[in-house]
Amino acid sequence: MKAKRVKKVLNENNSSNHLGDNKALMVKQKGKQSLFKKLQLLSIRSDMDVPFLFLVITILVIGLIMMFSASYPNAFYLHNHDSFYFIKNQLVFAFLGVAAMFAVSYIDYHIFHKFAVPILGVSFLLLMVVLVMPPINGVHRWIQLGSFSFQASEITKFAIVVSFSHFISFNLHRMHTFKYGILPYLLILAPTIVLLALEPHISCSVIVVLLAAGMLFIGGIKLRWFGMVLGAIASALIYLVVFTDKLTYANNRISGWLDPFGASSGVDTWQTRQGLYAIGSGGILGLGLGHSRQKYLYIPEPQNDFIFSVVCEELGFVGAVIILLLFALLVWRGMLIAIHAKDKFGMLLGIGLTAQVGLQVILNISVVTNTIPNTGISLPFFSYGGTSLMMLLAQMGVILSISRSSRLEKT
Amino acid sequence: MSKGVTIRMQRRSMIVLIILVFIGFPLLAFRLINLQIIQGEFLQKKASEQQLTDTKINSKRGTIFDRNMKPLAQSASVWTVVLEPSYIDSDEKRELICSGMHEILDIDKNKLIELSKKRSCYTIIKKKVESDIKDKIIEFKTKNKITSGLRLIEDYKRYYPFKNFAAAVLGFTGADSQGLAGVEAYYEKTLKGEPGRILTARNALGTEMPFEYEQLVNPTPGCSLKLCIDECIQRFMEKTLEEGIKTHKVKNRATAIAMDVNTGEILGMAVKGDFDPNEPFKIANPEEEQRISALPEEERAKAKNEALSYQWRNKAISDTYYPGSVFKMVTASMGLELDVVNERSNFNCTGSIKPYEGARPIGCHKRSGHGSQNFVEALCHSCNPAFITLGQRIGVENFFKFYKSFGFHNKTGIDLPGESSDLFFSADGSMALIDLCVASMGQNFGVTPIQMITAAAAIANGGNIVQPHIVKEILDENGNIIKRIDPIIKRQVISEKTAKRVTSMLYENAVHGAAKNAYIPGYRVAGKTGTSEKIGLSAPGQKDYISSFCGFAPADDPKIAMLVFFDTPKGEQYYGSAVAAPAFAAAMQDILPYMGIEKVYNEEELEKIDTVVPDLVGKNISEAKNAAASLSLNTTIIGNGNAVTSQTPDASSHIPKGGTIILHTDSSSSNIKVPKFIGLSVSEVNSTASAVGLNTKLSGLKLEEPDVKVSSQSIPEGTEVPVGTVITLNFVHNDSSGE
Repeated sequence: MKAKRVKKVLNENNSSNHLGDNKALMVKQKGKQSLFKKLQLLSIRSDMDVPFLFLVITILVIGLIMMFSASYPNAFYLHNHDSFYFIKNQLVFAFLGVAAMFAVSYIDYHIFHKFAVPILGVSFLLLMVVLVMPPINGVHRWIQLGSFSFQASEITKFAIVVSFSHFISFNLHRMHTFKYGILPYLLILAPTIVLLALEPHISCSVIVVLLAAGMLFIGGIKLRWFGMVLGAIASALIYLVVFTDKLTYANNRISGWLDPFGASSGVDTWQTRQGLYAIGSGGILGLGLGHSRQKYLYIPEPQNDFIFSVVCEELGFVGAVIILLLFALLVWRGMLIAIHAKDKFGMLLGIGLTAQVGLQVILNISVVTNTIPNTGISLPFFSYGGTSLMMLLAQMGVILSISRSSRLEKT
Repeated sequence: MSKGVTIRMQRRSMIVLIILVFIGFPLLAFRLINLQIIQGEFLQKKASEQQLTDTKINSKRGTIFDRNMKPLAQSASVWTVVLEPSYIDSDEKRELICSGMHEILDIDKNKLIELSKKRSCYTIIKKKVESDIKDKIIEFKTKNKITSGLRLIEDYKRYYPFKNFAAAVLGFTGADSQGLAGVEAYYEKTLKGEPGRILTARNALGTEMPFEYEQLVNPTPGCSLKLCIDECIQRFMEKTLEEGIKTHKVKNRATAIAMDVNTGEILGMAVKGDFDPNEPFKIANPEEEQRISALPEEERAKAKNEALSYQWRNKAISDTYYPGSVFKMVTASMGLELDVVNERSNFNCTGSIKPYEGARPIGCHKRSGHGSQNFVEALCHSCNPAFITLGQRIGVENFFKFYKSFGFHNKTGIDLPGESSDLFFSADGSMALIDLCVASMGQNFGVTPIQMITAAAAIANGGNIVQPHIVKEILDENGNIIKRIDPIIKRQVISEKTAKRVTSMLYENAVHGAAKNAYIPGYRVAGKTGTSEKIGLSAPGQKDYISSFCGFAPADDPKIAMLVFFDTPKGEQYYGSAVAAPAFAAAMQDILPYMGIEKVYNEEELEKIDTVVPDLVGKNISEAKNAAASLSLNTTIIGNGNAVTSQTPDASSHIPKGGTIILHTDSSSSNIKVPKFIGLSVSEVNSTASAVGLNTKLSGLKLEEPDVKVSSQSIPEGTEVPVGTVITLNFVHNDSSGE
């Protein structure tokens, strides 16, 4: 199998050599290219992927600037006129996170094989601990250790990706069976979802389920499972919609989603509404960096989940699309790194971690634009939250580590 | 088993990648297009509604000028003092500002402190502050280095420099500088301009954002108006009305309208019993104010409102009245135009007339009757039976047809608010024969003064109904003309020939007829008097009258028409000839020379013409006597010198032919007391004046008439004046049958 792959790579190199039409130019470039090729071969398994690193740093810098812009009215009014209240904290974690990212990138990711089961254990433990923690805003999501707090689900997402990568990469040839393809994962997933539902943390459950489904799909389970799950979800939804009217909470939430400007619904649509005002106010070119008006206490906590609405208001459609494009490129590059990873574990790990970022971006922006009902999902690299950012950057470090051994041009 | 990646894994990974990158992200982009571009404006509007406080800045209201660009109503800057509590961030600053404003504006300090603690960025503490106080506030701010928390915003206040002058025409403005009456209300949009605004952003707490975000939209000043009104003509009219009201104890106000007969321009429109537009909400009549403040409290507000709307009411266009005999000029026009009468038609007046079989006889104002008379004489006598007969000849249908075409059945459309419609017997013009009889002499139907003068102007200008208007031009803020209101001739209602014939009859009326009190030597006045009983409107047990005069001059080429109208005179006289005609003459005597209309005397008048006194000082006595004699003037010498050292009256003053110049030949001078002339006849005047050594200048009337008496004298009785001083005596006709 290895021989096959090398042959393929060689074929690719050959074909690329025949690209030029101009003979003189080809001759001139031939020497250069072979030298280049040599350097590249040397760099395989040692250098990390520069475009991916570049994208991470770019998005991080933009995210920090926007976080500062979005947070300063809140910091000014609610934290003793200290406009830097949030950004100070975030910057510290960003530096720690970048350091962690580089550090992790040097670690051979295969070490996570060893951690797969323990991380899963830690995840379950934390998910149980968090339930006895005092609720914040009515939900048990944060674990408080002194002045330091973090969301237990951040660990869970990572644990799912690592453990699934681990199990799938070992059982790849048996993934089509129920015993090895479905059952173990069901046993991990089901209690996780139950625990998340107890917090409650629906958005995280959605991400976990989607990540798991994606990884199992790539792992090669039979497509009929998806059919069955989708069928079950659909029939459950139909049942809920058609035969029950007890779910007033859900109904209100949905009516608030469908008509955020209507005053009738029992659910508070203030945040959604203010976010939409901000997005709409931005227009094509935006009000300019720092000139959002909606962040002046209209949008509750504009530095958190709804930061993208401030981005839209200040940078306009053009700025928002550029940021979307950067995220898309990040996902694209991350996926390419993963697809070209040295082995199945690396590939699954890379895809899982990249997809997590992609999913979170898509879900967050869908919420902010009121495309789906409002649920708490933060925007990676943008939303305020030190531990979360550090964790995220460390995960980017894992992808970079994978890239070091990936068969991909890294410049 | 190999560790490597399988093809299937790669294929499935690509699917995941495509779902995320090529479906997820583009969907978000489409959603953003919808929100930011398609719905952007709507959402932005919603956001602005909650974010912005919009403060109006008033625009400067346009000026109202008279036709010679004298300002009659102007706006001047005043200031609104505004507190900005969200900028007052320390107690010292609060204390400083509040005690400063307490001192300068005299507002209770505790109240100010309370206001300054409210969460707001805009609290008005005082409006319409004049610039001297504004300067004090600016000085206070500079001295204490206050840059925020206290603010001055420009506003405007309306001033009417001549106070009551032309108040009914100009109207007035309210607290927000909005026009509430008169031209101010009618031309509100033109005068107002576009207000500007200050947009201030605020956060969700309602306090201002601490960062500069402010947008100023400058106000656009309003346009100015140039009226047709001539300040001088208006003044002459107001003076004559005021005198008339005083002399004749007029109870229900008086009005006068002067119109350019050819263009419809209103040269003056005076209503007396008026108000000061600077203080429109003050009851101008002190007696009325006392009466109201004596009322029980619950009735006071209503009484005050009634009194205010009474004083604001523009009598010239809002009140209807029975035109009375003035309307006979219209009836005469109808008769001549229809050719059912001519100047030589004979009418016999026996003192009353039974218009048709079975009707109750209607009396003439002269009980003994006017006897046999031609039509011109009948008009000069204002003979009722003659006009009732004429009315029967005209007929109901024709009468209403002309009534309508003379413009009585429609509003004139003058550019003033509150014009009333007429009150005719029926809307379709049908009326009983008895109604036609009284209508022919101007009774029992109501028209507005502006309708009456428009009809009179048609007779004066050769038969055309013109559009009466107040505003001549609309000017921009720099005085450039934006719009000129051109004269509009609506229609010809009688032929030019008929108009000329009626005019000469009215001239005859002023020279020899009932209107002779309106005659001014040299100025060829034509006109008609009117006295109408206020049937159904009089106080119980009394007969109230409206005394009016409508005429124009000069009769050979009419330029100006004027209607004078006193409502309920309660003096000795109430006839139009005794009350309104002299007032008309008094105003016209000033207006016509002001308008530059030349005097043309007939022969009778030439004899009475005044002479300019020559300068005789320094001449010896015989020279002086000869010089005076050559101008038909007499001399009286006082003193023993040979040469004239001083003379009374002074050189260049006017005295009538045959007057006496007193020549002093030394420094001695002698004063005399002016005797009472009022009530004397011409011959009595002459003997009294020569007895004391005064020169008299007689004005007003054809003096050869038997019944003229002095109605006023220019120097009051008892004043000490030098011998030879000229005293002007005004004569009126004392014939009370003058209707």
